[in-house]
Amino acid sequence: MLEVEGVVTAYGNIEALRGVDLTVAENEITCLLGPNGAGKTTLMMTIAGILTPRQGSIRFLGAEAVGLTPSRIVKSGIALVPENRLVFPDMTVRDNLVAGGYLRLSKEKRAVEQDMAAMFDRFPQLAERSGQLAGTLSGGEQQMLSVARALMAKPRLLMMDEPSLGLAPLIVEEIFQIIRELHRDGTTIFLVEQNAHMALQVAHHFYLLEQGRVAFDGKPGQLAEHEVIQRAYLGSSQSG
Amino acid sequence: MVDFIQNCIDGVMLGSSYALLAIGFTLIFGVMRRLNLSYGPSIMLGAFVGTLVYLEFQAGGLAVATATVVGAVLAGMYVERMCFWAIRQGAALASMVSSFAVWMQLEEIVTIVFPERTYSFPPFIEAVPLDVGPFFIKLENLIMFLCAGLAAVLLHGLLYRTRFGLAVRAVSENPQAAKFMGINIGIVMFWAFAVASGLGGVAAYLILGADGQITPLFGLWATFKGMIAMMLGGMGSIPGAILGGLLLGVIEAHSLWYLGTEYRDLVAYFVLFLFLIFRPGGLMGQVAAEREEAAMRRV
Amino acid sequence: MDPYLVSVLSNIGMISFIALSAYLLLLVGEISFGQQAFFAISAYGSGIATAMWGWPLWLGLIWGAALAGFAALLVAIPTLRLRGLYFSIATLAFAEMVRLIFEIFTYQIEIDGELVGPDGSEGFRDIRYVFESDVTAFEYMIVIYVLLASVLGFFFLLERSRLGAIFRMLGEDPMLTEMQGLNAIRYKLLAVVMAGIIAGIGGGLYAHLTTYVEPKIFNVMLGVHSLAYGLIGGLGTAIGPLIGVAIDIGFLESIRGLAGYRMIVFGGLVAVLLIFRPRGLLDESAVHWLRLRLRRRRDAAG
Repeated sequence: MLEVEGVVTAYGNIEALRGVDLTVAENEITCLLGPNGAGKTTLMMTIAGILTPRQGSIRFLGAEAVGLTPSRIVKSGIALVPENRLVFPDMTVRDNLVAGGYLRLSKEKRAVEQDMAAMFDRFPQLAERSGQLAGTLSGGEQQMLSVARALMAKPRLLMMDEPSLGLAPLIVEEIFQIIRELHRDGTTIFLVEQNAHMALQVAHHFYLLEQGRVAFDGKPGQLAEHEVIQRAYLGSSQSG
Repeated sequence: MVDFIQNCIDGVMLGSSYALLAIGFTLIFGVMRRLNLSYGPSIMLGAFVGTLVYLEFQAGGLAVATATVVGAVLAGMYVERMCFWAIRQGAALASMVSSFAVWMQLEEIVTIVFPERTYSFPPFIEAVPLDVGPFFIKLENLIMFLCAGLAAVLLHGLLYRTRFGLAVRAVSENPQAAKFMGINIGIVMFWAFAVASGLGGVAAYLILGADGQITPLFGLWATFKGMIAMMLGGMGSIPGAILGGLLLGVIEAHSLWYLGTEYRDLVAYFVLFLFLIFRPGGLMGQVAAEREEAAMRRV
Repeated sequence: MDPYLVSVLSNIGMISFIALSAYLLLLVGEISFGQQAFFAISAYGSGIATAMWGWPLWLGLIWGAALAGFAALLVAIPTLRLRGLYFSIATLAFAEMVRLIFEIFTYQIEIDGELVGPDGSEGFRDIRYVFESDVTAFEYMIVIYVLLASVLGFFFLLERSRLGAIFRMLGEDPMLTEMQGLNAIRYKLLAVVMAGIIAGIGGGLYAHLTTYVEPKIFNVMLGVHSLAYGLIGGLGTAIGPLIGVAIDIGFLESIRGLAGYRMIVFGGLVAVLLIFRPRGLLDESAVHWLRLRLRRRRDAAG
C-alpha cells in the first residue's frame, strides 16, 4: 500500500534519513522501531508531507506522494496520530473530532457527524467527555482522542507515532487493544514505537531504523525479541 | 456617586472602541503568536482611503465605511504576506520588526497623500446627546458599544460555527497538529488576518466617525489601545479582548475625571504593568497565561 | 573635518549605545521594547547634574548611567519572572510610564536669573555644559567614540568569557542553563542592569550634545528602532547593532533627495532583508563563516 524508496530527508546540513526503504502492506500492522534520533518521526513527517525529502520516492496506492501538500496527502487517505498526541487543548473533545474530519466537512458534513457518533460508540470514555476541553483529559484519554480524531479522516492508512509514550502500562495495553481492533476492522496501520515489546506483539512485519537507515526488516520471531529490544533502545553494536 | 457612574458609563462607551480594536488585534495574535505592530497603521490606511472617498467624491456613510474596510483589509493582506507569511516560523522577532518597518511605510504613504495634520472624517450619525436619568450618553458612543457587541457575537459565530472558524481555532492552538489534519496554515492565517483587518476597519470607521476627524497619529494610537486592551483581558483571548477594552475605557475615564489628562495614559500603563506583574493572564485568568506560554513555545 | 559629517557620526555613535543595550538583552533571550526609558533617565539625570548642580561632565555621565542601571534593577526584579512577550510588553509599559512621568516632571532652579531644569512637556533646555566648556563638536565626537569603543571592548571580552557563554546559553536554551545549576534570573538581572547602564551612557552623551531633551523623543519608536538596529546589522556580534545604526542613519542622510519616500524605501528594504536574513546581515552563521575564513588565512600564513 505504501512504498518508501531511497528517501533522504535532511534538516539543513544534517541528514536525518539516509536512504530509507520500506513497505507497508495493506491490511497489516507494520511497525517501525529504533532508538531515539534514528529518524522515526522524521520519516512520519516526510510521509505526511510536512517535510520534503531531498531524494527518493513515496508511493501510496500506486501514486507518487512526494511533493504533495499535507492536505492532499490526508485527502488521499493517510492520517497521522502524532507523537505526544497533540490534541487541541482548549477545544472540546467534540471539536477535536470534527477537526479530524476537517477536509471532509465541506462535502460530507452529515457523514462526518455520523462518524463522530460512531467514534463515541467505539470510545465511550470520549462520549462521556464530549463537551470537555481536551486539555483536561488524562494521557490515555488524550491518546484515544488523538486516534479517534485521525480516524475521522477515514484514512486507508493510519500512521501512529509512539502511541505508548508517557502512558501507564495498563493504558498502553488498552491502546494496543484498540490498535488490534482497528486492524481487525480493516484499517492498515503503520506504527512507530519505542515500546518494542508491545509493538512486536501486534506487528505483522517490522523494520528497525538506525541512524537514518533500515537496519533490519522482517517478521516478529525472525529476530530474538531481546535483540530487537536492545537495538530498538540502544542501536546495534555496529552502529553504536 | 452620580459622577462615578457617569464615568463608568463613559468608560464603557469609550472602552467599546478599544474593544473593537482589541478584537482584531487579538485575532491576529491568536493565530500568529506575534505582535503585529502594523495593525493600527494598516487600518489607518483604510480610514484614509475612506477620507479620500469622502473628500473627493462627497460620498455617503456607507461608501466611506466600505472604502475604509476594504482599504484596511488590503493593507492587512500586504502586512501579512510581507511580514508574517514570508518569514519562517520561529523567527518571531523578525516578524515583529518587519511589521514595524512596514508601519513606517504605511505612515509615510499616508502623510504623502494627506500632508495636513488633520482631516475631517464623516460622522456616521447625527451627534445627539441622550439623557438617561441623571446620566448623559452620546448616541454615537452608544452605537459603537452596540456594534462592539454585534462584532463579538458575529466573530463568535464565525469561530464556533463555521469550518473556517474551526480551522482558525485549531491553528491558534497548535499549528503543527492542524497541519496533520490537512488544514492549510498559510490560507487560514491569511484569511484570519483579513477578517481581523476588516474588523479593525469597522472599528476605525466608528471611532473616527464619532470623533469627526482623522490624524496620522491614529495608527500608533490604535495599535497600542488594541495591545493594552488585549493584555488586560488576557493575551490571545477574544472575550478577554472585549473585557480588556471596556476595562481600559473605564480606567481612562476615571483617571481623566479625578486626575486630569496628563495622568490618564500614565494610569492606564501603570495598571497594565500591575496586571503583568500580578496577573499576567489578565482578566481571563492564569489558565489563559499558561496556555499562551505553551502555545508560544510551540511556535 | 566637515561639521556635517561630525554631526552624523556623533549621532550614529550615540544611538549605537541604545542599540547595543537592546542587543545585550536579545543575547539572553529577552525582547525589550523599553530601553529608551534608560536612555531618558540618564539624559535627564546627567543633564540635571551638570546644568543644575554644576557637576563636571564625566561625573554627570557616570551619575546618569548609574541612575539608569539602578532603574533597570528596580524594574527587572518584578518583571524578569515573566516569560517571553509578557516581559516585552512589561518593558514597553514601563518605558511609556517613564516618558509620561517626564511629561509631568518639573524640577527647576534659578541660575543667574533664569529658570533651568526639566519642565514637563516643555522639556529640558540649556544643557550647555559642553558648549560652556569649549569642547568642540569634533572633540565631543571623539569622546563618544572612545566610550563606544570601551563598550565594544566590553562586549568583545564578554563574548570570550564564561559570563558571555552563560548569556548566550540563556538566550538559546534557558532550561539547559537552569539544569547546569545556574540561576537564570540572576544572570538575566545582571544583563538587564548592564543593558540599562549602556543605554544610560548613550543618554547622557545625547543630552549634552543636543543640549535639549523632551519626553517626546523617548517614545516607543526609539525603542523598537533599537531592536531593529540589531536585527538589521546582525545578531552575531556586537558590531551588528552598530552596522544597523550606521545603515539607518547613513541611508536616511544619503537619500535626503528622496525626502518624502525615505521610509517607504527603507521600510521595504528592511522587510525584504528580514525575509532572507531574519537574524540580520551579520548573523551567527555569517560570523561563523567569517571566523573560519580568518582562521584559514591565519593558518595558511603560518
